[in-house]
Amino acid sequence: MTLHLSILLFAPLAFGVAGMLVAPAIASRVALVGSLLTAAYAIAFLVDFNSSSGILQYVTDDTWIAELGIHYKLGLDGLNLFLVVLTAILWFACTLWAIGRNYDKPRLFFFHLGLAETAVLGALLAQDLALFVVFFDLMLVPFFFLTGIWGGARRVQATIKLVIYTLVGSLLMLTAAVATGVLAAAGPADLSFAFSDLAQRQLSTSSQEWIFLFFAAAFLVKMPAFPLHGWMPDGYRNMPLPALALFSAVLSKVAAYGFLRICLPLFPDATSHFQTLMLLLALASILYGSAMAFTTTEARLILGYSSVAQLGFITLGIFALNAQGAQGAILQSFNHGLVVAPAFFVVALLAERAGGSEDIRDMGGIAMRAPALATMFLVVTFATLAMPGSSNFVGEFLILLGVFKSKLAIAIVASTGVVLASVYALRIFIATMHNRAGARVESRELSLRDGLVVVPLVLAIIAIALYPQFALKRSEATVAGNASQPGIALEAAP
Amino acid sequence: MTALKLFAWLTLLAPLAGTIAIALVGRRLPGRGAGYLGTAALALSFAGAVGALIALQGLHEEERQVVAVAWDYANTVGVDAKLALLVDPLSVFMILVVSGVSTLIHLYSVSYMAGDEGYVRFFAYLNYFVFSMLLLVLAGNFLVLIVGWAFVGAASYLLISFWYRRETATRAGIKAFVINVVGDVGLVLGTFFIFKHVGTLDFLGTFTKAKEAFPPGDADLTAGCILLLVGACAKSAQIPLHTWLPDAMEGPTPVSALIHAATMVTAGVYLIARMHPLFELAPTAADVGAIIGCVTLLVAGTIAIAVTDLKRVIAYSTMSQIGYMFMAVSAGAYAAGMFHLMTHAFFKALLFMAAGSLIAAMAGQQGLDKMGGFKRALPFTYGCFVIGGLALAGVPPFSGFFSKDEILLLIGDRGGWYWILYVAGYVGAFLTGVYTFRMIFRAFFGEPVPEARELEQGHRHHAEAHTNPATGEVEDTDVGFPGPEHHIAEREPSMKLAMSVLALLAIVGGFLQIPKVTHVIDHFLEPTFHDSALYAREPSDGMLTFGLALGTVVAISSIALAYYVWVLNPGLSARVRARLAALYTLFVNKWFFDELIDALVVRPSRWFGSFAQQTFERVVVNGVLVGGTSGVVRAGSSAVRAAQTGFLRYYAALVVLGMVVVAFYFLASA
Repeated sequence: MTLHLSILLFAPLAFGVAGMLVAPAIASRVALVGSLLTAAYAIAFLVDFNSSSGILQYVTDDTWIAELGIHYKLGLDGLNLFLVVLTAILWFACTLWAIGRNYDKPRLFFFHLGLAETAVLGALLAQDLALFVVFFDLMLVPFFFLTGIWGGARRVQATIKLVIYTLVGSLLMLTAAVATGVLAAAGPADLSFAFSDLAQRQLSTSSQEWIFLFFAAAFLVKMPAFPLHGWMPDGYRNMPLPALALFSAVLSKVAAYGFLRICLPLFPDATSHFQTLMLLLALASILYGSAMAFTTTEARLILGYSSVAQLGFITLGIFALNAQGAQGAILQSFNHGLVVAPAFFVVALLAERAGGSEDIRDMGGIAMRAPALATMFLVVTFATLAMPGSSNFVGEFLILLGVFKSKLAIAIVASTGVVLASVYALRIFIATMHNRAGARVESRELSLRDGLVVVPLVLAIIAIALYPQFALKRSEATVAGNASQPGIALEAAP
Repeated sequence: MTALKLFAWLTLLAPLAGTIAIALVGRRLPGRGAGYLGTAALALSFAGAVGALIALQGLHEEERQVVAVAWDYANTVGVDAKLALLVDPLSVFMILVVSGVSTLIHLYSVSYMAGDEGYVRFFAYLNYFVFSMLLLVLAGNFLVLIVGWAFVGAASYLLISFWYRRETATRAGIKAFVINVVGDVGLVLGTFFIFKHVGTLDFLGTFTKAKEAFPPGDADLTAGCILLLVGACAKSAQIPLHTWLPDAMEGPTPVSALIHAATMVTAGVYLIARMHPLFELAPTAADVGAIIGCVTLLVAGTIAIAVTDLKRVIAYSTMSQIGYMFMAVSAGAYAAGMFHLMTHAFFKALLFMAAGSLIAAMAGQQGLDKMGGFKRALPFTYGCFVIGGLALAGVPPFSGFFSKDEILLLIGDRGGWYWILYVAGYVGAFLTGVYTFRMIFRAFFGEPVPEARELEQGHRHHAEAHTNPATGEVEDTDVGFPGPEHHIAEREPSMKLAMSVLALLAIVGGFLQIPKVTHVIDHFLEPTFHDSALYAREPSDGMLTFGLALGTVVAISSIALAYYVWVLNPGLSARVRARLAALYTLFVNKWFFDELIDALVVRPSRWFGSFAQQTFERVVVNGVLVGGTSGVVRAGSSAVRAAQTGFLRYYAALVVLGMVVVAFYFLASA
């Protein structure tokens, strides 16, 4: 029993509250310190983590509501370690970015940012189904305000769409979670929502199936996956940039993580029953997201739809239902977050240089006068399209290998998504950096302040590209361990 | 053995260090400093390759396959990828050719690119390109191979769209990149098919286990090898994945030399040679490779006779020559294929350099129609062009003669249906002579054009405004193209030096392997191919004599024909063109491959994109799925609106798409 994870979990919120109490001018600094400490703490876990152990580490387990069998249980293992680190790092980067952009009502803004980080960390760390649901729903609240108050021109409509979609998902998930606990328990006294207990008590196949679908709906909306991405275009257009970067980089991964943490171990029969359906949805997300990404001209939406495609790959890896697919999905979740956040930053910087327009037709030709910015974007572009040599490629390689072993036809069709990715990623790079300069384009180099946000992330992309094993070896034991656990039978390595 | 590993790492990392150094400090170096830095890095790399050669020869033959591991790359859940190099005769052969010729190309570029605004960037890219290629040939397992493979694609993208304010250049760049990604995907899927049975990504491990893992003619292995061929075709510009190569001529001329001579395009040939134990177990796949090579060599040869852009003629000639190498390594003539790869690197780099000099004299114009009579104005360039041309056409005793004839000899020796390839090879050789000397006679003979006259009087021609030869659009010179100066070999010592060395090699390179006299390459590569049943066959003396004689006759008669048509009877070619209009249309339009791919791949995907964008997203996702009744109302109205803009067509497509998805569902779950 340790307190470490609780400190990590509530530090951002505590600093957010503290920021509310100080003068508006220094609220941002409080938030920055908070996010920096959180990131440092998370990295300390990364260093200290025992990668040879497949079981939960740093576990905190308290009974929260005894009557309902709800535990306050947190833990870290190979599935969530890198997502926790990603969350903490990107929150720091986004806080740094936001400080330079002078948002209105800074105290409130940074409070919501802190609350959001706690909610995300909570969902990632929770080892109790009810606790997970609480944090998962809590994530929506700060993003609702961040979009509604600091968002773009059509923020009201965007917020309504976002809320309707995610609320429906959340309600389904809540129902499903309650049902899981109740149906699994032998009697009222036996009620427990802890994952470890639920994994021991398998539900009947028919209950598993509808519960699985309810969870899947919630997760697929959050990702978003085709065809449940209807909230995404308006939402992405109108979110303030830090919120957008975090939503796309981190929140979408919480949904993917939910499948790995909840659906596969708790509903194994349903998982294998719906495997083909999920794979096809993932495949549709890849193809549809790519097609949208290479036709739209709004820079934000190109990244948004490319995320739909990338999340499709991650889903594909999860539902390959073998160790390679799972390893690939975990690595790719981290990679995609690390890549899409700087991509959004660069897009914002490009818009600032194109008279505020985020349409790629108004951009172009700035590589000559802004070589550093162009180089950063080039690295990000190559990582986005999962060029071999990037860690994203290793993730995709493992995912496709996993799917190849379970469903050959799907792997072959999915591999066309790799080609499509090269089209849309290079298209946005060329349209913004190369060709002739747009009429209102002003070629300015990356400023030092923005460089402080973007360059370290790009260096992290390069570092993990050189040594993806760093991530793989930390998740390996957990993934391999799942093969021997009750619940989903991840096929062991050949 | 440690020395060998060190030399291999030195060879690989010197260009990478060069890239980083040039990127960081290149702008602060005075004058041509970045160019010299880049050249020095490459020279160091070549020195490392020579060191590796010496160290390798110091080992016993059985020990000449050394694996150097840096660290675990992706070593998890049954995948065993390490960052590993395989140093053996084949990879040492490749790094010698790649780093050697690249050093000369760098040296040439020091002058050729001087004055270009992007000078520093150019050398950073060029060094990165060579690093990628060295990584490709040194890779010790499939994953590292794929990484090098893709890096080469990325580097070529950067170099092809080097003058990125030209839309033609950025379009050519993305085309090359996307086709190369298709190749990468082929390679990845091919790897999966092989990995599924052998359970390792390591090359040596795979080759050892392949014999037990795959029964002869195994379907998975054949599929895997054919997918590897997809990768090889994309990189080596073989039909049908070749269309990026002529467009890649948008890049600066040294890039063309680098991509088309020594490096990128030979990657596919190297791949087949490297995978020979697999291809020998999957003879069907090997035959497919040989047929692709044969078709490419003929098709490219016919196109080269018809097109008039100087660099494109040489580019199609490259495709055609790579076709020979493909045929060779697919048919088991490994040493001959590698031999031709080497000689081709010499004479083709030389031809591109000479072409660059000529194009500079023309102030950037590349059309053969506008050239003529440069023989006296550019004597050195002319000399190099003729040497390169004689080697390419296969006139004895120039290097191309020995290497090409050895390939055809060994293919003829296999008997059976291979005689078709044998005959096609000689037809291709005839075409080679004709298009090569058509190029030389048109550019250097006849009445001097104004540009040539100006040069003869000691001036250089400068165009008033620089225009893109492809579109006629005035260039945006902000990024550098074209530099204010044009550099021709006659006036630049470094260009002259690089070309002289290559000219010498183009003449004497063939002596390494003279039938019955020397067998340097055969013996050197032996340890790599020790397990091959097809290696080191000895054709009969009769065939040998016949082959050498036939090669000589074909080469000389083809040049004579070119002389007759383009020098003695200048009007003849136009008359022939008029008589054979249909054939000419086919050739000059490059057999309509671009149009075919456009119709089969590009337009359907664009159509799918706009369907998703304009109909599906609006009607289904935003209309039906967003918010209940209001959504339905809106969907109805947008459907009505869409009906006026071809909605019905899309609707029908939607129904079909749905049926396909359902069908696929049942297929996949079965």
